[in-house]
Amino acid sequence: MKHPTRRRLGALVSAVMLTTGLAACSIQIESAPDPSIPKDTMLVAADNGSPLFERNFNPYMTNKRTAAWYMYEPLVVLDNVTGEEHPWLATGYALPDPSTVVFTIRDGVKWSDGKPFTPKDVAFSFDLLKKYPTFDLQGIWTYIDTVETSDTTVTVHLKAPDVPAAQLIATTLIVPEHIWKDVPDPSTFRNPDPVGTGPYTLGNFAAQQYTIDKNPTYWQADKVAAEHIILPATNTQLDVATKGYDWAYSFISDVDGAWVGAGNKNTYWFPPGGTVALFPNLTKAPFNDLNVRQGLSLALDRKAVGDSAAEGYMDVAGQTNILLPYQQNLLDPSIPDSGLVAQNQQKALEYFAQAGYTQQGGKLVDASGTQLSFTITTANGYNDWLKGVQEVQKQWGAIGIDVKVSSPQPAAYQLALRNGEYDLAMGGTGGTGSIFRDFNQLLSSDYLKPVGEEAVFNYERYDNPEADELLSQYKLTIDPEKQKQLGYQLQNVVYNDLPVLSLYYGGSWGLMSDAKFTGWPSEADPYASPKTYESTPLLVLTHLKKVNDD
Amino acid sequence: MTSVTIAPGSADISAAPRIAGSGRGRAWGYVARKAGLLLLTLWAAITLNFILPRLMPGSPADAALAKLAQNGPVSEGTKAAIEAQLGVPTGNILEQYVAYLHQVITLDFGVSYTFYPQSVSELVSTALPYTLVLVGVVTIIAFVLGTLLGVLAAWKRGTWLDTLPTLAGSFASAFPYFWTALLLLFFAGYVGRLFPTSGAYGPTASPQFTIGFLGDAIYHAALPALTILITSLGGWILGMRNTMISTIGDDYVTFAEANGLKPRTVALRYAARNAILPNLTSFGLALGGVVGGSILVERVFGYPGIGYLLFNAVTNQDYPLMQALFLMITVSVLIANFLVDILYGVLDPRTRR
Repeated sequence: MKHPTRRRLGALVSAVMLTTGLAACSIQIESAPDPSIPKDTMLVAADNGSPLFERNFNPYMTNKRTAAWYMYEPLVVLDNVTGEEHPWLATGYALPDPSTVVFTIRDGVKWSDGKPFTPKDVAFSFDLLKKYPTFDLQGIWTYIDTVETSDTTVTVHLKAPDVPAAQLIATTLIVPEHIWKDVPDPSTFRNPDPVGTGPYTLGNFAAQQYTIDKNPTYWQADKVAAEHIILPATNTQLDVATKGYDWAYSFISDVDGAWVGAGNKNTYWFPPGGTVALFPNLTKAPFNDLNVRQGLSLALDRKAVGDSAAEGYMDVAGQTNILLPYQQNLLDPSIPDSGLVAQNQQKALEYFAQAGYTQQGGKLVDASGTQLSFTITTANGYNDWLKGVQEVQKQWGAIGIDVKVSSPQPAAYQLALRNGEYDLAMGGTGGTGSIFRDFNQLLSSDYLKPVGEEAVFNYERYDNPEADELLSQYKLTIDPEKQKQLGYQLQNVVYNDLPVLSLYYGGSWGLMSDAKFTGWPSEADPYASPKTYESTPLLVLTHLKKVNDD
Repeated sequence: MTSVTIAPGSADISAAPRIAGSGRGRAWGYVARKAGLLLLTLWAAITLNFILPRLMPGSPADAALAKLAQNGPVSEGTKAAIEAQLGVPTGNILEQYVAYLHQVITLDFGVSYTFYPQSVSELVSTALPYTLVLVGVVTIIAFVLGTLLGVLAAWKRGTWLDTLPTLAGSFASAFPYFWTALLLLFFAGYVGRLFPTSGAYGPTASPQFTIGFLGDAIYHAALPALTILITSLGGWILGMRNTMISTIGDDYVTFAEANGLKPRTVALRYAARNAILPNLTSFGLALGGVVGGSILVERVFGYPGIGYLLFNAVTNQDYPLMQALFLMITVSVLIANFLVDILYGVLDPRTRR
């Protein structure tokens, strides 16, 4: 489940700060970069201390420093905006059969301490995740049976045929065997002096700010423009807007005024990072009735919902679970209007009538005269979601449905979602970068759990043998063209059967400055997600160019 | 006030137990009663502290998961992996309670869920000094300054020395903490660029005992300190002024004035000395509350104290950290309360009955 649109209290406080500042005093925020930061050095808001930094660069821990993502690399970098794979520490991989993956390991890569990187390091890293399941956040060992190495390859034998698992396994970060084999307890190891293959190595570390320096022996050193990157522990939105940051990942209210207007050649790009959708609880009446779901879907003005939630920065999402426009090539062209569903109250009421609901005195009632009434569950503090839900409430209210809103704390919301204890819930879907995973997580009955038990995915509890069949075929399919066709069919399942009601795209809030470095991912050049964490920053950091002095 | 405290000598602290007249036994009985009450409340607080986090819906793993899900897709093994990383408590509630009591006694609160693999004591000991110094020093300054201004306001009541601090005090304390903080941050920090806007010391510095570092730390503490001072000063001024005014009306003050004592002596040694009792109680409680930090101020200024830590602990359902912090706060408030009770007994013998 993907949710890039969240912003927490910190951001809120800062937003209040900015807006009050702007509204009360009409002061235009202006960026004043610190002159002591040289032109070859990038200031990035990527890592937040709590509020201080803990020196933890163990790439397998959830609490690691963000820069560990720039020091340790995977075999393949998967970009979740375009869904494209970029060969990285592996020059490529092949599946001789659906249960065997052969990675060809890149030659000439060195660890930052000068030792050569070999297939043995890859096998060692995989084994480490097996030995310490707490590190296996992606769950790769649910697929892997055995791993073997040759001089140039790593061969992974899967427990069962599963073509898409190759990609998941390929995104595992690789650590050096010669260092990690001597670590007494890797599960609590904070790796204070990281040695990786990545473009950056650790420079000065202090609890409120650290720097990383370009790795001179990096295997693509010629492509890395920034000599140093500074990562402060506190990056309030006021800081980001005024201190001349080069790159940040954050939603700023009124981004044109507060960020672009601040000068310093600031730009932004908010590509879709997932679909925000309403999950109907399919184990419950009336949501188990397709006519009701059709009625609900057609009664929505999704544009208004998206605009009210994301201040107009995000597009309406089609009912296909595909991120447009950057995944256009994956979309089934036969689906009308790219899957966008226009509001049509008349047709909505016809569907409701088929389900036994008619309008009486402005209320939508069933045969016994009881008004259609249910609750939408969203998470407390997710303000954009709440604004979206309130708009939905208004629109459904307009055709006579009594909609209540419940917003428990995020942990309680998460539990309600997983346990299926809701009527309709806000949630994120898709955006993994893999068409298979996007649909498998949404539709597969493998994840089906009775209400009251935690489901890892498929929160809406969708159970359709046709979808299952498509997914299992996908697992056996190596041919990309055939995969694409299966993807088309899965989109049609979502489009026709409405297991979720797509609303709008959740944004990836990339803020960049062209003052010192150019070549940021953008609408014109959407080569990678603009996010500052996980492995896609490797794509960005090896793509930027220094701005020449005039 | 009663006749007991009329004569300056009888208000002498060292003389107070003697004045009570009923012997040491009663005094010790009073202390023992208060100590017993302290132990009982401590146990209740410790137990509540165990129960409350467990009443919150969702587990820490759910909270961690909700957090991860915001950043990107999570996979199926993730929850199990997180639970294993965190060591989320297992066993029945009674076993957890016994384990918890053992932790409390040994002051070992285990590993934080949010900041794994850091231990709770590691986190608390990093954050505590900042809060103690910032909030502690400011609380003392606010108390001393506020009380003095209150005395002045009451003594010169009706003049500008009364109206100005009283009005300004009530005005400033009516502002919410974070609002004052945001205003200061914006104008003094951003527009004026007089003070840094976040952190406890310069970005590249590391804590050490040198003049340079201390200066840097004070410079960074200026805005949060000013915020707390502005918002808390009013309370002390008003509290002191109001009790002082009723004291001034008492016979012994008139008597002292009639005896031709200097007005300053009358104000400070007679009226203020008796009027300070309620303010002293609040001061004790405020000192006890210092360890809790100041959540909003620390949050707005990104100040690495206990308040910020508490905020993180609560939003991430970090049970071990929350329990340690709440326990620390409750225990200090209870102990401060106990000390104030004892001090009160010394200052005002009537409370000992």
